[in-house]
Amino acid sequence: MKLLTGIGAGTLGVLTAMSASTPALSQDAIRIISHRTPALEYYTNAMKEALPEGRVNPELMPIDKELELASITMSSKSDAIDVIYLTDTSLQRFAANGWLEPLDDLWEKYKDEFNLDDFPPSVIESMSYNGHIYSMPILTNTELFYYRKDLFDEAGAKPPATMDDYLADAARFHSARRAGTIMSLKPVDAALNEAHWYINAIGDGWFDKDWRPIFNNEAGVEAITRLKEMSQYAPRGFTAHANDESTINLQQGLATMGLQWFTRAATMDNPEQSRVVGKIDWVAPPGGGARVANDGFAISKFSSGDRDEMFRMMATAASRESMTRGAEFAMPPRLSVLENEELAQKYRWYPAARAALEGGRPFPAMPDFLDVGEIVTRHILRAVTGEAEVKAALDQAASETEKLLASRGYYK
Amino acid sequence: MVRWQRSLWLFFLPSFGLLALVLLWPLAYAVYLSFFDYYLGAPERTFVGLGNYAGLLGEARLWNSIGTTLIIALGSVGLEFLVGMGLALALYRLGTGARVFSTLLFLPHVVTPVVATLFLKWMLAANWGLVDATLLTFDIEPPDWLGSPFWAKVSVILADAWIFTPLVMMVLYAALQGLDTAQIEAAKIDGASDWRIFRHIIVPALIPAIIFTISVRLMDVFRFFDVIYVLTGGGPGTATETITMYTYQLGFRMLEVGKASALGVITLIVVAALLFTINRTLTRIYRRGDQ
Repeated sequence: MKLLTGIGAGTLGVLTAMSASTPALSQDAIRIISHRTPALEYYTNAMKEALPEGRVNPELMPIDKELELASITMSSKSDAIDVIYLTDTSLQRFAANGWLEPLDDLWEKYKDEFNLDDFPPSVIESMSYNGHIYSMPILTNTELFYYRKDLFDEAGAKPPATMDDYLADAARFHSARRAGTIMSLKPVDAALNEAHWYINAIGDGWFDKDWRPIFNNEAGVEAITRLKEMSQYAPRGFTAHANDESTINLQQGLATMGLQWFTRAATMDNPEQSRVVGKIDWVAPPGGGARVANDGFAISKFSSGDRDEMFRMMATAASRESMTRGAEFAMPPRLSVLENEELAQKYRWYPAARAALEGGRPFPAMPDFLDVGEIVTRHILRAVTGEAEVKAALDQAASETEKLLASRGYYK
Repeated sequence: MVRWQRSLWLFFLPSFGLLALVLLWPLAYAVYLSFFDYYLGAPERTFVGLGNYAGLLGEARLWNSIGTTLIIALGSVGLEFLVGMGLALALYRLGTGARVFSTLLFLPHVVTPVVATLFLKWMLAANWGLVDATLLTFDIEPPDWLGSPFWAKVSVILADAWIFTPLVMMVLYAALQGLDTAQIEAAKIDGASDWRIFRHIIVPALIPAIIFTISVRLMDVFRFFDVIYVLTGGGPGTATETITMYTYQLGFRMLEVGKASALGVITLIVVAALLFTINRTLTRIYRRGDQ
């Protein structure tokens, strides 16, 4: 139909336009699509260097665009994408939909050559679905609490240890030119990460053991009410801010503190990008419960490329040597690299990251959590922007979530 | 009709075949899919009859998105028409130099909407965007252009108007070229004011162009997607979620193809009904003017 065709064409047009700057490569080049972060720039480049010049064509874009492009391509069983970056949550969904190639045989075949037993079992588990490995672990990511150490020192204050401290500090340091805190509420991914922290630190989590929503109980309402209170100290436009915008706000000295990924820490000390070199410090997020994620690269079920070649390319990028170099940008999931004491001395955010990992929580392990996230973040934003009361918005979100999960067979 | 002319319909077949392939087949397929519970990740689809339609029509989100679509459509088309008409009249009276100005004014429409909207998005970015930075220089606290439900709607309307007002202006300016100047001269001699000339001579003469412009723009705005997708993504919350954004969310984010197809069919019916009503109303006004 005309409308849907128009929308489809429009979406594809937007997505295609984003990759238009990529030079044309040979037809059989391995096409990688990935989210764009400094860490992923490093790892996609490592994959590019693992094979001869021109064999690999990486395309980096914001994560929501990447997942849309992948969903459209893979649902039509097209071989246009060979390798895809996936978070542990999106991996569950793509694997459940039958869009990914199981890697068990290749894992076994190359286990010794690439020392794959160096990955801890918990990481391999998060890269698996229904007992099959689907992804090569590339980074363990966790959210840290960034704060302006110089301003806190000047005020004789310590970084917040609880959510109450955080609210008080955000109010204390807020001014017209420098927001009290960053806040990333752009749907879906960024808003879901921010809400995940509040829902765990103040609320009781997302679901009970039967996948019934509990994010709208009394503690959940208190959590989102707190998020709404906190938003008065966020920079203007926070509802359209994702990680890029929040990182810029911290780098440019336009915000005092807030939740942001480990992978952005190095850019705070990069004099070409940052005005606050040496002024930012990190601690574990107050209250705990911020997101922990294990991300990796998977092979499309529909790729016509050589599986062995693609696996070796990914394994080379995930080798111990590569990950030691990449430790500047992301926490490597290899035990041998994680236990390297030199890294903690070299990169001053590592101690905070280890503490954050201990108190952090991954998203619920369900393939449909991103769809749930679409519903929940929409209603949380309605509450935060005053379109609806917090309780009413969360009840509506819970009702829509139950309906969705029932239609996907969760309550049989 | 002579005998050789009877076979002329065969010449119609290639174009009809092409239309059927690119327009009617996808339309029919979407209508077909709308009768299924079809989640792209599920191994099979289930026939649900009118279930998708009933489910959607019972959803507050659908009615909210229709309301938002109407606000944005009427706001942007209204603004485009008023400003476009003003500019067309100004160009008409300008005489010399009109060609240069019309070319300059048409520039926003030449840029691809996605690119134009990306420009706007960075211009409206909080704190470091051009608009905010300029206002802050003069100690003026700017509104939260893309973060407040009200200002996000205003920003979307302004973005659409910025891109499409030049089109409205050009159509109306072209129509003004065919105006019978003798009537205006006669009215002036009779002592008619500028307003009366505009109301009783210019507007009636422009009615066909006005009907065309409003119909085309309304049809476009109801399918409005790229500008909102880039500028606000339908947010904050559901503040700028139009019916096409909702269809997109269902189809491309949630992968609920059956429901998205049903929503597409509903949109088609709503737009067709609205256009039919507007066309009839404006035509009736036009004919009444003739009598």
